[in-house]
Formats: sequence, C-alpha cells, structure tokens
Amino acid sequence: MTALETDVRRRDGAANANDNLIEVKDLHVHFHTTLGVVRALNGVSFNIPRGRVLGIVGESGCGKSITGLSIMQLVARPGKIEGGEVLFKESGEQPVDILKLGRHSDAMHHIRGNSIGMIFQEPMTSLNPLFTVGKQIEEAVLLHQTQNHEEARRRAIDILDKVGMPNPQRIADSYPHQLSGGMRQRAMIAMALSCTPTLLIADEPTTALDVTTEAQILELMRDLQKEIGTSIMFITHNMGVVAQMCDEVAVMYLGKVVERATVDDIFYDPKHPYTISLLRSIPRLGGERHGRLDAIKGSVPDPYSTVTGCPFHPRCPSFMPGLCDTLVPAETRIESENLHTVRCHLHPGSTILGKFGSSGGVATTAPETMTGFAAPSNASEPMVIPGSGGGTVNNSAEPNLTSGDVDDGAAPRVNRTS
Amino acid sequence: MLNYIIRRLLYMLVTLVFVAIISFMLLDLTPGSYLDTEIARLRQAGGNMSDGQIEALKIRYGVNDPFPLKFGKWIVGVLQGDFGQSFEFSVPVSSLIWGRLAFSLILATSSIIFAWLISIPLGVYSATHRYTIPDYIITVLQFVGVAIPEFLIALVLMVVSASVFHADVGGLFSPAYVDAAWSGAKFVDFLKHVWIPIIVIGASSTAWLTRVMRANLLDVLNAQYVQTARAKGLGEGLVIWKHAVRNALHPLIMAAGGILPALISGEVIASIVLNLPTTGPLFINALIKKDTYLAVAFLLLLSVMLVVGNLLADLALAWVDPRIRLE
Repeated sequence: MTALETDVRRRDGAANANDNLIEVKDLHVHFHTTLGVVRALNGVSFNIPRGRVLGIVGESGCGKSITGLSIMQLVARPGKIEGGEVLFKESGEQPVDILKLGRHSDAMHHIRGNSIGMIFQEPMTSLNPLFTVGKQIEEAVLLHQTQNHEEARRRAIDILDKVGMPNPQRIADSYPHQLSGGMRQRAMIAMALSCTPTLLIADEPTTALDVTTEAQILELMRDLQKEIGTSIMFITHNMGVVAQMCDEVAVMYLGKVVERATVDDIFYDPKHPYTISLLRSIPRLGGERHGRLDAIKGSVPDPYSTVTGCPFHPRCPSFMPGLCDTLVPAETRIESENLHTVRCHLHPGSTILGKFGSSGGVATTAPETMTGFAAPSNASEPMVIPGSGGGTVNNSAEPNLTSGDVDDGAAPRVNRTS
Repeated sequence: MLNYIIRRLLYMLVTLVFVAIISFMLLDLTPGSYLDTEIARLRQAGGNMSDGQIEALKIRYGVNDPFPLKFGKWIVGVLQGDFGQSFEFSVPVSSLIWGRLAFSLILATSSIIFAWLISIPLGVYSATHRYTIPDYIITVLQFVGVAIPEFLIALVLMVVSASVFHADVGGLFSPAYVDAAWSGAKFVDFLKHVWIPIIVIGASSTAWLTRVMRANLLDVLNAQYVQTARAKGLGEGLVIWKHAVRNALHPLIMAAGGILPALISGEVIASIVLNLPTTGPLFINALIKKDTYLAVAFLLLLSVMLVVGNLLADLALAWVDPRIRLE
C-alpha cells in the first residue's frame, strides 16, 4: 500500500444525500469596477454534507475565496452577490437562506462566528495586533455564548489548550506579534472554533506556513473535526492537502464548479480535463528528474472578458471546435458513481442542444450525435498520482486528453513507482 | 516600560542641550546686536553718542565676549531659572514669557484637541463611505482647509462674528477683564474669545489630520484582522471603532507630537491678526530687534514644548500599541 492510498482512504457510507448542512445554489457574485464587470462567481452550486470536509480547489482567481466570503456575506465592495441561494440547515432548525438575511442584521451576526467560523490564509495578519490572543477569543465567546467574563476567559484558555498550545494561560496573555506563524494559525483556529460552529470555512489556512507546521495544522484540524463534528469547507489549491483533509471535492474554474466528486473519484477517476490538468501539474516524487513539469497551457482569462461556451475551452487539450466554444456544458451526473458530477461536453448529458448559454441544472438528455465525441476509451492506463509520492490511479479519460501538447518523455502515464 | 521612559528622558536632555547651543549660536552668528539697533534709534532721534560711550556699553553688556563665555554665563543662569535681561523692555526675560507661554500652550493644546475631535469622526466617516457624495464634500473641505491661509480664516471669522453675532472679537479678553484677576466671569469671557483662535489655528491641522485618518483607515480596513473581526460576528460599529480605528490612530498620535511647531507658527500669524497675548508676536519682535536673550529663551522653551510633546506622543503610542510597549 502506498502512502497515497493511506491518505486517500475510501470512506464508506456516503452521507445521507438529504443531510446537507449548506446548499449553495446558482450563486452569482459580480464586481462592478470602473474597468467593467468581473463575474467572479458565475452560477456556483454545491453542497456540504453535515460533518464532512469539502475541498474547494482551483487556480488563483477562480472564485474559491469569494465563495467562502459569500457564505459569510462578507464580500466587500465593489463585489456584490447578484443572485443565488445559500441554504443553511442547522440540525433541528428550518433551513435559512443566508443571502436573504441582511448583511448587518442580527441574524447574520448570530451566524457569523457562532454557527459558521472562518480561518484565513495569512496568520501573520489575521489577528489584531493591539489585543491579546485571549481577549480576541473571549470577544467571540462573549458575543455569542456567555455574558460572564470569567467564563469566557476559561473557555478561551480551554480552546487554546485544545488546539495544542503549550501553556495556554501564557498564550492567552500574549500579543499576536509574540507568536510564530504556526502558533498564530492555531490561535485563529481556536478563535474560529471557540463557539463550536457547525461549519468552518478554512480559506487556504496552511498556504503561508512551512511544510512541517502545515502538517501539524492539518492534523490538528482533522482531529478537531472528528471531535467536534464540524463540517469544513476547505479552500486550497494544494491537491496534496486535499488528499489528506477532504471527504469530497469541488473543482472550480472561472466562477463555476466544473467537477464535484468524492476525494477518491477526483484522484482515481477525474472526468473534467481541468481536473486532470490540475492533477498533472503537480511535481511528484519518483518522477523523471529533469523532465518538464506539466503546466496547464495558457492562463486564467482576463477577468473582464466573457468566455463563450465552456469557460475552460481556450486552454482545454480536448477542445472540440464548434461545440465547446459555443455551448455551455450543463452539470451532468456520472451514472456509475456516487455523487460525481461534471460539466464537460466529453461526458454524455452535458451537451444540451437548444440551451445555449444556460447554466445549472442536471441534464437529462444526451443526444447520441454528441456522445460520439466523448465515449470514454476505457484505456485504463495507470497514472502516477500527485501529491503524496506515488500510487496509481485509473485514468479512464480519453488518451487525447492527457497527451495534449505535452512532451512525451514527461507525460506521467507510465507508473514508475509501484 | 519604565526603562523606555527613562531612556526617552535621557534622549530628551541631550536634544535640549544641542538645541540650546545651536539656538544661542544662531542668534550670536547674525551680525550686529541689540546695541546697534538701539544706537541707530538714538542717533536718529538726534542724540549723539561718542565711540567711548558705545565701547563702554559693549563691555557692560558683554557684546564682544567670546562665544563660549557668553554661552557659559547664559546657560548657568538658565539652569537657575534666570533667562537674562530683555534689552528692549529692560526687565528680566522670565517676567515676560511665562504668562504668554501659558496662553500659547493652552491655545496649542486646545487646537490639537479640537482638530482630533473633528478630524477623527470625519475621517472615519469619509473612509467608511468612500466615493459617496458626503465623502467628496469632506474631501473638498479638507483641501480648502489646508490651502486657506490662517490670517484669512481669522479675518473672515472676526468679521462674521462681529457683524453677525455682534461679538467682541480680538484678544483673549474683553477690555474690562484684561487686567482683572481670574474669576468665573473672566473665565466665561475667556471662553467667549478663545474659540476664534482655536478654530483659526486648528483649521489646517484638522483638515490635514482628516486626510491622514481617512487614508490610514482605508489601509486598515483592508487588513485581514478587520475581516476576522467581522467573521467573528461583531457589528460593523465595533469592527470599525474597536478594531480598525485604533490601528489607524498611530499617525494621528505621532502628528500630535510633531504638529506643535506648525501650530506655533500658525499661532504667530493668528496672534498678530487677532491681537492675542501669546508668545508669537513677542517672539517675532524679539528676533527683529535682536533682543537676544528674549529670543533665545523663546526658542529654548518652544523646543522644550516640542520635545515634551513628542515624548507624550510616544508614550501615548506605547499605551495604544503593545508592539511598541513590549519591545
């Protein structure tokens, strides 16, 4: 068994499909700037099952962080939530559409920090330098949980202890500048978890940390997640972290979720060319030493422009002229697998003629004429899995997806490690 | 913290020694002395003085003593509270300056407080409502406030309050109270007069501080910890005033220390126009007439005020920011 296979454990018993803590439906966020409108989120839909960890992955600028901020209603001007729903279902309560609550309403303040906690990317700047760590945690506790200052102080120290701080009393009386980056991120996690939220949004919480600290923080989050049962929305661009942390994954590109599956399916059976490209662009142990690393050709398009058809088509190795650049692929479900959806014309069901420019909704019709393009070849060439130093995966995508313009010597289709 | 204060006090002493030497030297370097002015005046008035008389006066006043001797005599006196004799008024300098210095200090301090009280709320509003109509109005007012000269504001305010409100303007007291002892009535009269100079002296620093506050707060509002505070569920008011504004105050506190010279120079003009019994007009006069000991006493005491102001600002900064306190 390779390291990866231990990491990507097949988790049995997928959560009850109806028991979603959060359902995001067709979320649109636009930034109205003087240069034009940036459509940061373009119909994002996904759900987070109760008690599970959902990874949101994608390149910079694809809308991951904005999605997190939208759930908190913290998108700053000139950004504006233009449409969609965020249904939040705390156990035993009626679902609430968060976006219908006023940004500054009491109900929203009650959700922020109390029901949904958030951790940010930059531990060095995410704590206020003027207040002690303890005071900053107490502030949240006093706001949501208790009026009693001593009780709040006790809870702050408890939670600092829980996140593995040595001598929590002393840490509580320390100012942020007296702590290291890893310690500050622990303090942030403590603050976010101080009111035992049902959802934790972690926006690249380990990106700014060194790898040793990153491993510790990830372990801590996993342990706390198990202990408290909090659902986590884990925003990252690091596939290795996804493999370690997440139960399910949503891959985002240009403000849309292009593929949504369990973590195993994402690694062993990726369907969308973008997901496949992401997986191949990661350096791996055991790979050819001087071979070139695969990069996704091109870059994320200029945010002010609008891409017709499939947003990924200008960079897609399996671009089909006349189809991908005109017709927006619909979200379609991969029949054989649990919970696996993809937006790509290579897969039957995504191509719905007569619905040009539409988005959202699961397709039910799959014209025969179109499926010819996309029949999976069943060429189960093993593919070296990125992230954790080896392991294999069945890449059932068409061979032409994986070749593209990549130099054959570096194409990681040959399993070199097992 | 105690270490920090002691260290700062030592720096302060060193600074003041240098200030004393330099200011005394500067006044000494300028050619001529008060005697020349006095002789010229006497001659113009028709009197005649022999060279012998002039020489005798020069020796008496020590005009031609070497610099170290002059400075030595002076600094020994200063340490004993004797700032020397004013040539022009023929009275000890100390009897001239303390009352005026007190008024200057009161005016400068009230102007800073006035500037803070106006500029912080305006700056915060301006930053939190960026690119709205009120923000534009505040911005325009800021530019006007910075650009308009003090004497003009002084004149306009005097004209307006005299003709519209029929108030007694100019000076710090009504004629009836100028020489009266301090009493409740005199204090009320003082308040009635003091607001014009406070506005005049504080106007440009208010405008400037509003600008600084706005710019700083805009920076701080982009900081991650402000987002953290929001994500905690704090109301926007607490987020702004507790987490953001406190972090944006540094430059304002620093400004309070450094703004003193600007206030004093603003005060000179305002005092001349408004006929105020403060240091400004007397200081200018002493410089023009080469009344050396009076001028150098002012220079020294204003420097003391500046250095002390800076120390207070640094202490306030340390109080606000643990990163400085715990260094």
